[in-house]
Amino acid sequence: MATGEIYEVFARKAHDEELKHVGSVNAADDDLAKAYAWTVYDEERWVEMCIVPRRAVISVTHDRKHPLCGN
Amino acid sequence: MTTPATLFDSTDVMPADCVTGLHDLLTACADTKLLLGYHYGEWTFGTPELEAAVASCSLSQSELGHVRLLHGILKSHWGEDPDALVEGRRAEQFANVTYLDRPLTDWTAFVAMNAVVDLAVTRVLFATREGTFVPFRLNVDKMLDEERYHLHHGRGWLRTLSQGEPEACGRLVDETVKALVAVRTWLGPADDAGDRALVTAGIKGETNAQVFESVHTMIRQLAESCGLTLPDLPAADFTGWDAASRRIGTRLDEDILYHLRGSKNAIFKLN
Repeated sequence: MATGEIYEVFARKAHDEELKHVGSVNAADDDLAKAYAWTVYDEERWVEMCIVPRRAVISVTHDRKHPLCGN
Repeated sequence: MTTPATLFDSTDVMPADCVTGLHDLLTACADTKLLLGYHYGEWTFGTPELEAAVASCSLSQSELGHVRLLHGILKSHWGEDPDALVEGRRAEQFANVTYLDRPLTDWTAFVAMNAVVDLAVTRVLFATREGTFVPFRLNVDKMLDEERYHLHHGRGWLRTLSQGEPEACGRLVDETVKALVAVRTWLGPADDAGDRALVTAGIKGETNAQVFESVHTMIRQLAESCGLTLPDLPAADFTGWDAASRRIGTRLDEDILYHLRGSKNAIFKLN
């Protein structure tokens, strides 16, 4: 069975609020990630929820392992 | 210029064949959702991963919410007693998709239920979203919104299982075909008078035969996209088909019916 990947979950409760990171799910594909995100993080009445594969997230802060010139 | 369709606020002004046909359709949707809720609930434990358990529990809750809503419409407009719909009918009177008549013994059967049966009942709701029976139309969008995640779950798991060994894929194909055949029986023959009356009155936008073709095409395309080939379905035979139960001589498992009913716990019911 496919092991899947991690998706970060973002949501907001009102249209004038910013999207906030609410958690993550591990899923085999986008369809399952949508179903898991919606059912796991159902404590609020979200007006919007989005998922992003963690591999698509680009880190902006440095990881403290490399000298400044390597960042 | 087209004539605006007649809207029905109640069954009082509806043609008699539509009153019966719509009653049967709503009952069939409610019964199928009741059984979907039961099976999703049964699979709150034993899923391949924890997220699927949470999802299954959630899908069960939303199906039971839809049952409550549909029973409310049947009570308001047909005078049905929601308790009696569950407690007072015999096993052969339940108008659910017969794929749900028996326990789902493994995850493959669960996925076939999720991907095919849940899609079918949702597709029927979708066919009524702009229908002329206002009390139903006011509620259908909410149900369709919630069903979106049921479909994602079914599609995702069918895709996941399709990556298994050939034997497992063969079983997935077999269960998918069984579910499709059961859905075809549930939707009934193309010449069903009650269904035709609903489409003529604009209560539904499509016949059940068209709904089945749509479901069949969606599942076939999903299977093909996963590298699976569904065989042709066996020829349909609707001899003896009953419009109220949508069955041909079958019945719901008595053990499942026992577990569905709350009458065994009536002593604990608060007045």
